[in-house]
Amino acid sequence: MRQRLLVTGLLCAAIGGGSMAMTRIVADNAASVSDSTMEHSAGHDRESATRPESERRATTFAVSIRKPSGPPRIATGVHDLHGNAVTVACSQCHTVRQPNHQNKAAGDLDEFHGGMAFSHGTVSCLSCHNDQDYDSLKLADGTRIEFSDVMTLCAQCHGPQMTAYQHGAHGGLTGYWDLSRGPQVKNNCVDCHAPHTPQFPRMQPTFKPRDRFLDKPRTEH
Amino acid sequence: MTDDDKSGSEHQPGELSGPHLPILNQPSTRRTALKAVGAALGLAAFGRAVSPLWSIPENVSVDEFLQQHYKELSEADKKKVFERLEAETKENYGANVTISDPQPIPGVRFGYAINLSKCNGNGACMEACNKENNHHRGVDQSYIRVLEMSKGSLDMEHGTTTFDHTVPQDDKFYMPVQCQQCENPPCVSACPVEATWQEDDGIVVVDYNWCIGCRYCEAACPYHARRFNWEQPEIPAEEVNPDQGYLSNRIRPQGTMEKCHFCLHRTREGRAPACLEACPTGARVFGDLNDPDSDINWILKNKRVFVLKEELGTKPNFFYFFDS
Amino acid sequence: MSMSSTTDSIQSPVESADLIRSYPGFLWWGLGEATNGGLRFYVWMFALTAISLVGANAWAHQVAEGMIVTNMTDHVSWGLYIANFTFCVGLAAGGVMMVIPAYLYDDEEMHKVVIVGEAVAIAAIVMSTLSVVVDLGRPDRFWHLVPGIGRVNWPVSMLTWDVIVLNGYLLINLHIVGYLLYMRYLGRKPNPNWYVPFVFLSIAWAISIHTVTAFLYCGLGGRPFWNTALLAPRFLASAFVSGPAFIILVMRILRITTGYTAAPGPARTLIQIIRVAMTINLVMLASEFFTLFYTGGAHGASAQYLFFGSHGHYGLVPWIWTAITFNIVGAILFFMPSALDRGSVRITACVLCIVGIWIEKGMGLIVPGFIPSTLHEIVEYSPSLVEWKVTAGIWAFGILMLTVLLKLIVTVFTGEQGTAEA
Ligand code: SF4
Ligand code: SF4
Repeated sequence: MRQRLLVTGLLCAAIGGGSMAMTRIVADNAASVSDSTMEHSAGHDRESATRPESERRATTFAVSIRKPSGPPRIATGVHDLHGNAVTVACSQCHTVRQPNHQNKAAGDLDEFHGGMAFSHGTVSCLSCHNDQDYDSLKLADGTRIEFSDVMTLCAQCHGPQMTAYQHGAHGGLTGYWDLSRGPQVKNNCVDCHAPHTPQFPRMQPTFKPRDRFLDKPRTEH
Repeated sequence: MTDDDKSGSEHQPGELSGPHLPILNQPSTRRTALKAVGAALGLAAFGRAVSPLWSIPENVSVDEFLQQHYKELSEADKKKVFERLEAETKENYGANVTISDPQPIPGVRFGYAINLSKCNGNGACMEACNKENNHHRGVDQSYIRVLEMSKGSLDMEHGTTTFDHTVPQDDKFYMPVQCQQCENPPCVSACPVEATWQEDDGIVVVDYNWCIGCRYCEAACPYHARRFNWEQPEIPAEEVNPDQGYLSNRIRPQGTMEKCHFCLHRTREGRAPACLEACPTGARVFGDLNDPDSDINWILKNKRVFVLKEELGTKPNFFYFFDS
Repeated sequence: MSMSSTTDSIQSPVESADLIRSYPGFLWWGLGEATNGGLRFYVWMFALTAISLVGANAWAHQVAEGMIVTNMTDHVSWGLYIANFTFCVGLAAGGVMMVIPAYLYDDEEMHKVVIVGEAVAIAAIVMSTLSVVVDLGRPDRFWHLVPGIGRVNWPVSMLTWDVIVLNGYLLINLHIVGYLLYMRYLGRKPNPNWYVPFVFLSIAWAISIHTVTAFLYCGLGGRPFWNTALLAPRFLASAFVSGPAFIILVMRILRITTGYTAAPGPARTLIQIIRVAMTINLVMLASEFFTLFYTGGAHGASAQYLFFGSHGHYGLVPWIWTAITFNIVGAILFFMPSALDRGSVRITACVLCIVGIWIEKGMGLIVPGFIPSTLHEIVEYSPSLVEWKVTAGIWAFGILMLTVLLKLIVTVFTGEQGTAEA
């Protein structure tokens, strides 16, 4: 669990300069989930299944997906009178700058994002960021898309992963395996994959069974 | 020694010639008296030698000693047994726990799959198992072992469980192994007292109060899935998981066998197993094999799946697959 | 004995009642007789009792503190106890297989040896049962194994089979020895109808106990080292060595201490049996060796560890090569003509073969079955002090029982001769 928090924390930092909070949406009924664009279809599939007849027809609980809360906010390093950090939207700067479609790496950026690590194939910044509105993202065909719906964006290139995700074979979950008994919460792409460096980070194992053989065998007793 | 023979044969002719009770003929010699003294001393010495056993009546109550096999317990019996076990846990571990006995969900057969392309060997599942299942903290016991395997080979001989570096290593892949809940479980056939059996949902369970601790099942299991309680588990009171199942994660008694039970106290209530929830890579998939639309069935149909040691005919309900 | 007339079997009811009444008398007499002896006898018995008590004490500690006091692990979950169990079962079976020539060929001379073999069998069965009991994590639940009150996984579990056949074997042999001794004690000729069927039953049973014990291991598909059809035949062959060798030793000791002798004929027969059985055993070992190493693979991993060590672990290498050396030297000695007439050669050969087979079937068979483990981890094992103490205690107790039985046998048999002469 500790590792999980660590990883999630790291990712948050990477995604939004620390300003972007993850909201854990726990839905208790199907209705409250309908706003999730990436709604998992398992709930509907199950209605047609044949397994425990009576239970199948019982209430089906929701599968909800954690969502990024919205466009990232950039810390300015300044605090207001109440001691709260002052953050600004991306558009704050980007509305007054010319977009450069050639930028592909941190090194290309001469001012603000210079220290950023970037390793995500051959895409350029503006493959995903929306030069029309920097507080949102865009799909390959130019359609504007909210930061909170980032999974649709990812799925454009990562189709097989998305398919696997939709069938529970990618992404992990917590809660109930049986939706007739309780709800399920699933990770968002960016919970585990930092968009700029999507490679899953390396980890240090913290737990090893200390089998008897690792200790010295007792010969005297 | 020749004297002995003489003394022996001196008695004999008389005794052998008359087929009547020789006890009457036997003279009450000093020797007999000495023998009696010797026997008494011997008995006393034996009592002294086995004196550590006298602590047992404190630990094993009469009720526990006489307790019947799980399948022979009536609902009333179970209630009494669970209450006794709860009280014992309170007394020995200082923890308030509830022991439940969830039954298999009708029509459900559990399956588990691990994505070997995802698993990075971090071992969070092992830790979750340890916490969830009230494992012995002294040895950081867990039902799961994660093998670090060399790419290019599925031969476990090139694997190790004792790796302790950042994961994943570039030339390795990682394979967690736990009870495969075999459909044809050799451990169950091995048990001489039916202390372990397969439930309707495919989970192989152990009645920790019936097991005699012969460890034949441990020798029979091809997946190193069984664990023996070499000593009484130690768990600090605040770490005891109070949500306990009789056939699953209640604190096991010393000298008995235990094994992974797919967290049946969770999964039979519809919840995911603890190891699955803990997995940070999402490599684990759990579900109902009887449900054609379940995630696990989607994997069986759409991924290239294998089981461990298929040639042994154990028919595991535990699967491994790779992406793409 | 087997030629005794049928008139004996026709007994008046009064006589039968007499027989039953005097049986407790016989037991009481036996108890007295078994505890009579000279200084050396008492010292011997005292020493055995003392060792047994040390074993009992170690076992009591093990039960109270848990099996943690042994050096067994989840990787090597059976150790010295089960190794010793396997050997003792072989000894028990081998003891009775001597009966085969005695009855099949109606070899009168063998009978004096046969009863010793039966006594060895009884002691060995008790030892093997004790070895299983001390291996249990919960001996207080032993009753779960008792048919009727417990819950017995029969006929599926090989261990259940083993418990049944071992106890059956014990009863059969107790009956045979008890009956023969009782008849001799009464000064009657034993009635063949009362024991010959049981003798034949025990011969078949002897093979069964050893086969079932082998099946215990070779039935486990997950343990490639054991999972070979050759295991049961190898068990039998080695039982035909260790059993007779042990009997030769016992006869020798009896001759020295009590003057109880059999004509040289039986000893020759025993040695012939050993020669053949040892050869078969070594041939089977060699063919096992060939399959394991020529084809390699998973089957070879344990053997590799056992014979040559693997991945820097060599724990069993000295054991197994000691065993092989002992077995081969023992076999060579048995094949020397002097084995037939020179006692020292014969005894050395016996000791070598017994020790060799004890290692080969114990530490050399049980332990490598677990190394490498089913997940190919190598965890070594060597017995803890507690395990050695308990095992020594079991042996001491077994030898104690054997001494008592032999004392009765010698007394009755030599006593009868005395009466006959008188
Ligand atoms: S993996 Fe082992 S313990 Fe689990 S069911 Fe199969 S044989 Fe039994
Ligand atoms: S250790 Fe327990 S569960 Fe395993 S075979 Fe023996 S009695 Fe059965």
